[in-house]
Order: sequence, then C-alpha cells, then structure tokens
Amino acid sequence: MSINKKIKLQFILVVILAIFAGLVAYPSTVRSFPTLFNFLEKPQINLGLDLQGGLRLEYKADLSNIDESKKGEALQATQDVIERRINAFGVGEPLVQTAYSGGEQRVTVELPGIENIEEAKSMIKETPFLEFKEEKTEEELAEEMAKMEEIFIPLNEKTEETAREVLVKVQTGEDFSELAKEYSQDPGSKENGGDLDFVKKGVFVPEFDEILFEKDLQNGEVYSELVVTDFGWHIIKKIEERGEGEDREVHTQHILFSKKTPDMIPDLKYKSTELTGKNLENADVVFRNQGLSEPQVQLNFDREGADLFAEITKRNISKTVAIYLDNQIVSAPVVQAEITNGEAVITGNFTTDEAKDLKRKLNEGALPVPITLVSQQSVGASLGKISLEKSLKAGAYGLLLIAIFMIIYYRFFGLIATIALIIYSAMMVSVFKLSGTLSVWPITLTLSGIAGFILSVGMAVDANILIFERIKEEIRNGRSLNGAINEGFIRAWPSIRDGNYSTIITSMILIWMGTGFIKGFAVILIIGVLLSMFTAIVLVKILLQFVAGKWLENRMWLIIRKNK
Amino acid sequence: MLRIIEKRKYAYVFSAILLTISTAALFTWGLNLGIDFKGGTLMEVQFIETENILEEESAFQAPSREEVQNKLASLEIDSLTVQLSENNSILLKYIASNEDLNEDVVAKLNEFDGDLKQLRVDFIGASVSNQLKKSTAWALISAVIGIALYIAWAFRKVSFPIPSWQYGLGAILALTHDIIITLGIFSILGEFFNVEVGIPFIAALLTILGYSVNDTIVVYDRVRENILKSDSRENFENITNRSLNETLARSINTSLTVIVVLLAIILFGGATIKFFAMALLIGVLFGTYSSIFVASALLVSSYKYKLNRLDSE
Repeated sequence: MSINKKIKLQFILVVILAIFAGLVAYPSTVRSFPTLFNFLEKPQINLGLDLQGGLRLEYKADLSNIDESKKGEALQATQDVIERRINAFGVGEPLVQTAYSGGEQRVTVELPGIENIEEAKSMIKETPFLEFKEEKTEEELAEEMAKMEEIFIPLNEKTEETAREVLVKVQTGEDFSELAKEYSQDPGSKENGGDLDFVKKGVFVPEFDEILFEKDLQNGEVYSELVVTDFGWHIIKKIEERGEGEDREVHTQHILFSKKTPDMIPDLKYKSTELTGKNLENADVVFRNQGLSEPQVQLNFDREGADLFAEITKRNISKTVAIYLDNQIVSAPVVQAEITNGEAVITGNFTTDEAKDLKRKLNEGALPVPITLVSQQSVGASLGKISLEKSLKAGAYGLLLIAIFMIIYYRFFGLIATIALIIYSAMMVSVFKLSGTLSVWPITLTLSGIAGFILSVGMAVDANILIFERIKEEIRNGRSLNGAINEGFIRAWPSIRDGNYSTIITSMILIWMGTGFIKGFAVILIIGVLLSMFTAIVLVKILLQFVAGKWLENRMWLIIRKNK
Repeated sequence: MLRIIEKRKYAYVFSAILLTISTAALFTWGLNLGIDFKGGTLMEVQFIETENILEEESAFQAPSREEVQNKLASLEIDSLTVQLSENNSILLKYIASNEDLNEDVVAKLNEFDGDLKQLRVDFIGASVSNQLKKSTAWALISAVIGIALYIAWAFRKVSFPIPSWQYGLGAILALTHDIIITLGIFSILGEFFNVEVGIPFIAALLTILGYSVNDTIVVYDRVRENILKSDSRENFENITNRSLNETLARSINTSLTVIVVLLAIILFGGATIKFFAMALLIGVLFGTYSSIFVASALLVSSYKYKLNRLDSE
C-alpha cells in the first residue's frame, strides 16, 4: 500500500468514526428515518442524582449482634429487603449498595426523581425490625440490675432534690393542685391536681397509709416531710375524712416524684436470641375464636427459624419470650410448651387494619439488622434540571470560545483542531451513552463529571497547541510542510505524554479515594484524557496529512505569518 | 527573547510575598469547612403561599430571618445560621446531624403561614465526615508522591548538569506554591465572603496539582531536549531561558483556553460548580505563572548554588 493510499484509508475510517459518534451523540439528525432514529435514541446518558434530582441516603448497619460468619449474608439480606421495599413504591432505577467504610458497614440508597424526602425516608425506615428475645438468667439479671442501679443513683438524687424544692413551694403557700399538675409523675392523678379521692386503710402502701391514718393531720394540712415509698417521693396533703373505725376513709391529694428502678425497664429482662426477621418466611393475619376475638399476626418461620424457635421455646417453658418490633416490645407471651412447627403468633392489641398493615410490612421483609441514617443528600428535580442546563450551556460557550480563539490564532490548523474537538465531544457523549449497554461499567454523569468533561476539552486543546507550536517551529527552521507536520507530532509527544500521565495518576488516586463527587469527576477526566490523546495524536494527524498538500504549501499564510 | 531567568529575583520576591500572605491567612483564619468535612445539616425550605380561591391577592410574606431564628430558638440548635435566598426560600445550617432534630425544625417552620416545601435536606454524620477528612488527606499526599516519582522517572536520562530528582523536586515546589496560594485565597474568601470548602474544592485542588505539574513538565521537557542537543559552550542558564521562550506561546495559549472554559463555567454554570471552577481558575493562573517564572528559575538557582560551592572549595 502506498503512503497516499494508506492516508486515504485512514481518513475514511476517521469519517466513519465521526459519523457514528455524531449519530449516537445527537440522533435527532436522522429524525426522518424512524427505524434508525428509534434505534439510536435508545442509549441515554445515565444522569447522576445531582442532575436529575433525587435523594441519597447512607445508613449504618449494626452488625454487632450477628455471628462473624453470617455478617455478609445478613448485609446482603438487608440490601435485598430495602430493594424490595423501594421497588414496591415504584421509584425509577433505584440503587442500593453496601460498602465497608470507616470501620462500619454502610448501606447506600439512591432514589432518583424523588420529590418528597420524608415519604421516601419513611418507606425505608418503616420496614419493621423483628426480633425474638428471651429472659435473662437470674445471675445475668442481677448483674445487670446492679449496673443499672448505679446509673440510677445520681438520677434519683436529683429527683429527690426537686421534690424538696417543690415541698418548700407548697409550704410557702403555692397552689397544691397547680404544682401537682406541673410536677407529679403519677399519671393516674396528675391531671386532676393529684386528687386521690376517699380511700380506706390498706388500699395504699403502708408508708403512705401511715401518714393518712396514723399521723394526726388537720384537713387541708400538708405533711411536713417527703414520704418515701417504693414508687418514689410523695408530698401528701389531707383534704378531709369521713366514717369511723373500720369505715374510716381519708380524702387526699399528692405529688409523686417517681424513683427510677431497673424494674421499670422491661427491656432489661430480655436478651437477644438468634431468631430475627431474617428467618421469617411469611406472616398472616388470623382471628382466634372464629373471628370474634381481636386479630393476631401469625408468623411462619423458615427451616432454620423453626429449629431456632423450637430451641428457644424448649428452654423457656413457663417463662416469657418477648417479640420486638423496631426495638419496641409488642408482646411477651408465656411459653406453654415447645413449639416445633415453626409458627408463632403476635397478640398485640391490634385493630384489624393494624394487623393487616403489620402483615404487609413483615411480608415485604423485616430487616435482619437495625440501621441508622448517617448521611443524607437531596436535590430537587427542578434544581437538578437547571444545573444540567446551565452546565451544558457553559460547556457549549466554552467550546465556542475555544474554537474562535484557535481559528484566529492558528488559522487553518485551528480549524482542523476545532473539527477534531467536535468529533472529540461527540465521541465523549457516545461513550457516556454506550457505556451502559456495551460494558458492565455504566458511567454516571454528574455535575462534577461535566466539569471534568469541560476541563478535558481544555486539555485536548492543549495537546493540539503543543503540536501546532512545534510544527510552526519546524517550518520556521526551514522544513517542508509534510516534514514539519511529522516532526511536530514526534517532538510534541513526550510533553503530551508526561503531562497527561500525571493527570491520569492524580485521577486514579481520586477514583481510588472513591467519594461520589470526586469519583464522577476523575472517571470522566481519565476517559477524557485518553480520548483527547487519541484525538490529538491520531485523528488530527490523519486529518492534517490528508488535507495538507501542494495547495496548502502555496498558501502558507493559512498556517503562519509570513514576515517572521 | 525575554530575559526571564535573569530577572528571577522579582518572581521570587513576588512569590514570597504571596506565600507569606497565604500562609498567614491559613494560620489566622484557617479554611471555612463545609458540612462535608465538619458534619452537620444543611436544609433548604421554601414557603409557598397556600392556595386560597376565596381571598384575592392576600399579601403573602415569607418569614424574615429574625422570625425564623426566634421560632427555632427553643430548639437550642448549635451554631445555627439562617440565610434567606430567592423565591421565599431559606437556607439553614447547623452542626448537629440527627434526624429527630431535623424533624423538629421542619415542624417548627410549618407553624408559619403558607405551605412548606423541603427543597433540600442534607446531613452528614460525624463518622462520615471524619472519614472523609482522613481519606482526603491521604489522596492529596499520595497524589503528590505519585507525581514526584513519575517525574523523577520521566527525567531519569537527564542527569547533567543537575541530577534528575531535582526536576521532580522543582515541579513539586512549584505545585506546592500553587496549592498554598489557592488555599490562602480561599481562606480569605471563607473569612470575608463565607465561601465554604467542601469535597468539590478538594477535587479542584487535585486537578490543579495535575495541571500545574503538566505545565511545568512541558517546560522541563524542552529544557531536557535542548540540553541533549546543545553544544557544551552554551551555559545552563541560557538553555533554560531559551527553552522558556520557546514554550512561552504554548504556555500562554493553553492557559488561555483553559481560562476561557473556566470563565464560561463561572459565568453560565450553576451555583454548585461555580466555586469549583473559581478554585480551578486561581490554581491555573498561578500554575501558569509558576511554571513560567518559578519552576525553571529554581533549577538555575540550584545549579548556580552548586557552582558557587565548587568554586569556593
């Protein structure tokens, strides 16, 4: 093949490449051919959340209660459940990913096009976390109690202090009922000013009774000290009394400052078992007594769950097993016998609707591990659209300005560079569009990606400038046009290479660092740098070699100022 | 031919002044970190007039800054800032990042007239931002090391009249110069114009790093080339100055194209990438300046220093 023929062939290849890239990038040019147009229109640029609007949520998955060997499985299950739940709500192309980051397992959820932030969050959070817990042994409980007791001591001291202060207020004549409404922690009497009505002896605890029936209080008199019972500290006021002997009744008011004791926390009694929502096969609503009683939710476990449940019930006969939903205890039935058929029943005080709702949520999947939200980012859809339009506009103006500059300064070469730049832009857009269909790494275009793209245009031009300056130099040194073109490319290459390699090195490090915004920028910058090298070194060279000839040599003013 | 190298004293003084100011700004004010690095919440809500067919043209007024601040006072939010922005929307920022607080804030704001639309609620927990800080520091350090190693390798064949590692060192000094000045300017922007530094800024810094090195390398490449083909009578200072002049048109033209693009982004691009582009612009300007006036001059200074020492021995 002669050199001329080779150049012609290469030129034809460039034209084909340019047409192909142009069509993929901008299919509207062939709108009049519907079949081709429809085919070309299919691949679309995958826009990031910041450009199309949406919500990004990052959750921390708490795997501390999961066996080391089962952590991966549990995380996968969590991801699956969240995916199912989101899909049920019909969000376009949601993305759920898990990642290990900062010593924690994270689950990232991306919901494009979501407008209502709260609704989206609740639909993920709503997923109930189901857990079965059993009672602690005596020793474990005692130990726990002792620990809690210590925590409560300072709290209770503070409560007692408050109680004393209120007692002083009562004694200085402030209204007893009002104070009771404000301070009392007795839910039964708080609202009606601490009124306890008439009672006979023996109804209240002995310490309380002693004040009412042994001390000789006058009607309307407040007992001068705090009265301590198991419930806490009381301020007691006698209102009146009636009856004699056995029938004697006293009418009192009191303000209760309740004492915190470990008994008040039912959670303390229970410890986790291995049985959680991950073992649930399905849930159903059932009615005992032919629908006359309240509805219940029946749980059917998978094989592993059934075995676990059998074990748990076996070792807890005549003790309670607590069923927790989202860390709230819903019921704690006493185990009558070992249950081996893998069925359990939740009897909360459900209405039929509540039971049905719970069943639906459980069937959509209970989260095998608890999750907490650690970061959230949202962009309104309209805001995203504006960003996209503005960035595209900025890019178009940038391209236009570069073209003007290049043509004024480098004349004919500038024109070639502009053509190459347009082909380059079309190729970049084609790569964005086709990355999803032709490879397993779909490129998501984000705002930072656009910035990377625009910057890569600048770098593509830089390569051209290096080459053109070199060619001009060689011409000034007296080389022929073709010789100068060849020499120019060869000489400019080391500079282009070293400069672009250092950009690639930084970009690689950015990708490896891997935060969304930066990654989007770096991925596109790398693709841009590689493609721009190809454009500047290969495409521009072929174009120049093809068009440069006698006609250009006779019009050197198109390339270089004459009077040098 | 411009006598750039001969006049390097002026460039050194100019750079020294800029570096001093930048370092002083960084030490006095530091950088105004955004929630990416500090953790915290950024909430943008819009008040929309409730549609009422019966009433005509009720003069709907979004609450003022003071009203919003007073309304939220009871929540005792740590370092809360309230900014009014266009279309009756307000921007809230605070350190705490917890969902319950955010819900309380929304509930409070709902007490104002009109419907409330949540345009944006971003929050970043402390664990996330801390980790981001760490990985960012790592990325910057590894990028600098990676580039230094690459240059030392690329110039391995040139060991006369100065050793190849000095090219690497020269490029690193030049880019450190660019980065420090960019940081300094953003420290000042942060203090007086409340410009925040987030992840985009770091991406910009890293790009400047790559660009600045790129720019310096082109000049060094020319120095390398001219050394290899020059006759031994031409001294190093002349070779360097000639190389600078030969690459001057390229340096300026390339910077111009990049600057043109960045100006387009600043003028027409959205608010999100505006400061990103501005950081790049500052970096590119100083990157060009340092590659022309500082980086090569450093090579000559180092060479002269070596000569003087040999003479005095």
